[in-house]
Amino acid sequence: MPALQELVEGRIDFNGQKKADDIVRVVLITSTLLSFVVGFTLSSLKITLSTFALSTVALSLVVLPPWPMFNKHPVKWLPSQEHNPKSKG
Amino acid sequence: MHSIYARVNGVSGLWSTCIMVLLAAVALSSFLFNADPKGNLDIVSLKVFHSKTRRYPYRNEEISFVKFNISTDFTPLFNWNTKQLFVYLEAEYTNAQGVNNTVILWDRIVRRKEQAKIDVVQKDKYRLRDLSGSFRDVLPAQYSLKYNVMPYVGVLSYGEAARTLEPIDFPEAKDSVS
Repeated sequence: MPALQELVEGRIDFNGQKKADDIVRVVLITSTLLSFVVGFTLSSLKITLSTFALSTVALSLVVLPPWPMFNKHPVKWLPSQEHNPKSKG
Repeated sequence: MHSIYARVNGVSGLWSTCIMVLLAAVALSSFLFNADPKGNLDIVSLKVFHSKTRRYPYRNEEISFVKFNISTDFTPLFNWNTKQLFVYLEAEYTNAQGVNNTVILWDRIVRRKEQAKIDVVQKDKYRLRDLSGSFRDVLPAQYSLKYNVMPYVGVLSYGEAARTLEPIDFPEAKDSVS
């Protein structure tokens, strides 16, 4: 069950988060500009919208699954200490 | 940490902003194209006949029959954001009661650029009748060919392609031949 949860949630580490967010921002803004320019020069609104849709699908494939490149910097936890309930404070 | 749902949320948030900006840019780009096609409109003949009204058997009314000739090329209006055109012929006249009337006599929906060259000699598609039932003492009418551009995204725009050079008088009503 935890393995299934791991698979469905697809967590990535903190460096991966920043990388994913940067990719989303750059790709979406450039594809907006690109699809407008391409559609305008070829004078077809269909080309504009399909360029935008295809780049969105490609972006989702790159960014959504937890690819190994987003998990290169796993969080290093401190070593666990011996727990003593009497020295609590 | 960062689950797949958080990333879906991030992508769709910026995506919706981008698609809005894209569609707004498409809508604004329509203003770059300012084609204003002009054509010819001739009224070939205008006849007025006495006729029975459709619903009231003992009341008579007059119906005008307009035959016209239109030749206009609307191709320049088709740009990347044009869905279709609505082309219509209007009669504008002031009736005996002093009311300004604008009546559509003929129209056509142009869906494709290849069909945008309009060259027709036709009779009116919609009956030209006056609410008062008579064209006696009606001032001469102007006829104009107008168009309405419907875009995929953006605002509708209107224009006039042709107009009769001078107003045309309604003739005396004749007895109906049919």
